[in-house]
Formats: sequence, structure tokens, C-alpha cells
Amino acid sequence: MSYHFHWSVLWTGQSGTWLLQGLVTTLELSLLAWLLAVMLGIVSGALRTVPIPPLRWVSTFYVEFFRNVPLLVWMFFWYFAIPPLLPESLQNWLFDHGVEFWAGWFALGVYHGARFSEVMRSGIQSIPKTQFEAALSTGLTVPQAYRLIIIPIAVRLIIPPITNESLNLLKNSSVALTIGVAELTFQTRQIETYTAKAFEALTAGTLIYLMLCLAIAAIMAWVERRVAIPGMIAQNRAGEF
Amino acid sequence: MRRLVFCFAVICMMSGSAAALWAETTLEKIERTGTLTIGTRTGSPPFAYVNKNNDWVGFSIDLVDQAILPALSKKLGKRIKLEKKESTPQTRIPLLTSNAVDLIAETMTDTKERRESVDFSVTFFVTGAQFLVKKGSPIKGIESIAGKRIAAQQGSTNAKIIRERVPNAKLLEFPDQPAAFQAVVQGQAEAYTNDGIQLAGLKAKAPNPNDWLIVGDFYSHEPYGMAMKKNEPDFLQIVNAGLMDAIKSGKYFELYDKWFGPKGEVPYPLAPETKRFLQMQVVPK
Repeated sequence: MSYHFHWSVLWTGQSGTWLLQGLVTTLELSLLAWLLAVMLGIVSGALRTVPIPPLRWVSTFYVEFFRNVPLLVWMFFWYFAIPPLLPESLQNWLFDHGVEFWAGWFALGVYHGARFSEVMRSGIQSIPKTQFEAALSTGLTVPQAYRLIIIPIAVRLIIPPITNESLNLLKNSSVALTIGVAELTFQTRQIETYTAKAFEALTAGTLIYLMLCLAIAAIMAWVERRVAIPGMIAQNRAGEF
Repeated sequence: MRRLVFCFAVICMMSGSAAALWAETTLEKIERTGTLTIGTRTGSPPFAYVNKNNDWVGFSIDLVDQAILPALSKKLGKRIKLEKKESTPQTRIPLLTSNAVDLIAETMTDTKERRESVDFSVTFFVTGAQFLVKKGSPIKGIESIAGKRIAAQQGSTNAKIIRERVPNAKLLEFPDQPAAFQAVVQGQAEAYTNDGIQLAGLKAKAPNPNDWLIVGDFYSHEPYGMAMKKNEPDFLQIVNAGLMDAIKSGKYFELYDKWFGPKGEVPYPLAPETKRFLQMQVVPK
């Protein structure tokens, strides 16, 4: 191949600073969106299994509406379509205070919340029904049974698929560059603009994403081991697979 | 493990044969395929855009079609077809280096940094950056954008200059022109900065052109060139010869008039000094 790599563009000039800024923004955006998504996912996933039909409908609507529209459209929606509906003074305040970050955060969190919700539902439904009945028979109300018995077990069961979804969320945070959020992919493009060295910049971005994802996977694996309930999901540990 | 080694060997062999293919020069590739593949824009009127009839047209495309293709066909002794692919500020250099396209013909500014990665033809258009604002905006030029929210296209030379010259302006960068323009329409940004001629194109295509103003002196110098893979003098020579012949024969000015003349898509009179500059680029026989 006739292309000559010039890796030094990644640490000369401002490139290093930009990559670092991009990394911080990606982490902030992903972490905040993850918290929102987990919260929405747990609530909505639980509601999809409760014996009260209207609550199930609300949550089904949320899931199907938000997961079936492309994330890119959601980004544009929260950034371009919502602000004009607000009073003008509030609009200007938002525009002056980095509304693109919060629009990106909301789009990402709500979209992934819908996906987390399905994972949560599968976790809850994998718990034998007798568990729930036993909880009720000890005198717990339905909300108590969910809060104290069902959700704590389900959350432990779904750690592997949640890891998967969390990695997706981190990578999807790059879609926020379409509305001008200066995250990691944005900054790799910035380096490309300044140096015209696209391959080097993209390689740096790729490696950073890879390392972030591996770190998340490792943390989640550790959490999975820490919170495992012996006899429930721990039986496959000791290396059979 | 053995299977892994085998897979690795297969991949190596495949990339080896791919490398052999890469060794072909652009000119050899054009001769073999009978096609010149250009990377161009879909939303930069009047240089390259998709018009109302869904045709992919523009000044840059016409220049390739009517100045460079004839030169290529003559040199290779056969008719060369034109194929268009979309390019953006982020993808154009990788498109060239990976051989996906042979020539970038859109609105690419010739810069020193870019010259380290690609080669440029002679300049075929000169413009400078300005601001597009809604009527009544307090923004009058680069001197009045401090603290203001300015939209720019990511990967463009303008964003870079604003960042350096007015660091306290709030720069909002969008991947493409329609999103950046939308941000000004909605108020997320107070002005959109790009090369003057592109703003004129955007204004002409806006639903209400009279609501918009293009303000400020040129705060940058943007010579547009056609970019190609580095170190291929034979191809560069043909591209330059095609452009120079078109300037010399007057074909260039006919095309200019078609797109920028009083009846063109974006009326933008050719300044006498620009015309002189274009003519001076032509190397005499």
C-alpha cells in the first residue's frame, strides 16, 4: 500500500488535548445517558410484567415507539424539533448553555432505556412465577414484591445482556456528533481536518473505543461475580464454558 | 490454533493480492475500467448538488465532464465514462487514498496540510469565508461574532480559522450544510459561516431568499482545486491540461456563465481580477 502513516500527528499540536476532551465528553455523555437508560429500563421493564393492563400498555408504547425509530432521528428530534416549542427566553438560555449535549443525552438515554426495558422484562420473566407468588403470600404488596424480590433478582440475571447494551450505548454516543456534540468521534474528525491524516485519527479513535469497551466489559464481569446469588447464575462459573 | 494460523495466512494472501491491485496507478485504472470516478457533493449548489429533477449536477461536475474527460479520452485514445460518488469533508481524502475515487471535484479548498496527503490541480475557483444571517442580525462580520453562536461545517477550513481568530465565539459544528443551516433557521446558531459562494448558493435555494443576508468581508482565502492521489504526475498533468485548455478556449467562462451568470443558479459575477488570475494560471505553449 502506498499510504505512509504519520503517527506523530496524534501527539503534536493540539491533537492529544482534543482526543482527551473528546474522551471526557464521550464518557460524560455515555455515563449520564446510561443512568437515565437504566432507570427508565428498570421501571418500564417491570411495568411490562405487572398484572395491571393500563400500566403494561403505557410501557409497551414507550418501548415500541422509542426503539423502533432510528437514534439519529431522535437526536434531530430533541435538538431541532423540541426547542421551537419552548418560550423564547428559555430557548435562548438553552442555546447558550450547550443544549446539544442535553439533547444528545436525552435521545441516547430514552432510546437505550427502551432497549434496556426489554432486557429487564426478559430477566423478570425468567424468574419462576412461584417466586412472585411466594413473595405475595408472605404479605408483601405487589410494589413491595417487585422492589424487594423480583427486581433485585432480575437485575442480577440480566448483567450479561446489559453489558452488551451498555457497550452499544457507548458506541452509539458517537451519533451525537450529528448535532454538534464534541465527543470522541467528532474530535478524531477534527484532527483529520487540521492534519488531513484521516487514517491515523480514525485509528486512534478506534483504539480508544476498543479500550473503553474492554474496560466496561471487565467492570461488568467483576460486578457480575460480586453480586451473583449462589445457585442462581453462579453454576456456570468455574470455567465450564 | 492451527485453524487460526490458517485464517491468518488466508487474510495475508488476500491483502497481498489487494496490494498488487493497489500498485496500479490512477491513469492505468481509468484506462482499464474506461471510467473516471469522481467524489463530489450532493448539497453544495451550484458546484455539486441534486437538483429539482433529481439530477446530480453542478459547476464542478460540468468542469470534469467538459474539460477533464475530453483531455483524458484524448490521452487514452478511448471514450471515458464519468461515475459519481458522494464525498464529504471527512471522507474525501480517505476516498482518494483508498482508490475508491480517482478525483475529488466539489468545493475542496487547496491547503498546505491537505497537500501533504493529496495533490491539487490548478485553482478553478476562488472565494472567501463570510456569514449567512437572518435579516436584522447584529452580526456584521468576523469582528462582531465574539460570544455569539456560530454554526460551521465540520471539517471545513472556516471552523478552523474561527477557532483560532475568535476563540470566544461559540462554534457549533455540524457534519453537513443542511443541518448547519437548519440550526440558524431554528435559532440554535445566530450565523452560519462558510465560503461566500456556498452561502450565496444556500441563500438562493432557501424558501425565502430575501430573509437572509450574507455579511462581512472575506476573512479567509479559499482557492478551490480538484484533488487526486499524491505522486501521480501523469494524471495530475492531464487534469491540469484539461482545466487550462478550458480556461484558454473560453469553455470555462461559458460554464461559469451557465451557473453563476445573471440567469444562472446562483448569480455571482466573476471579478475581473479573478478572471485575470485564472487566465494567468495557464501555462503557455
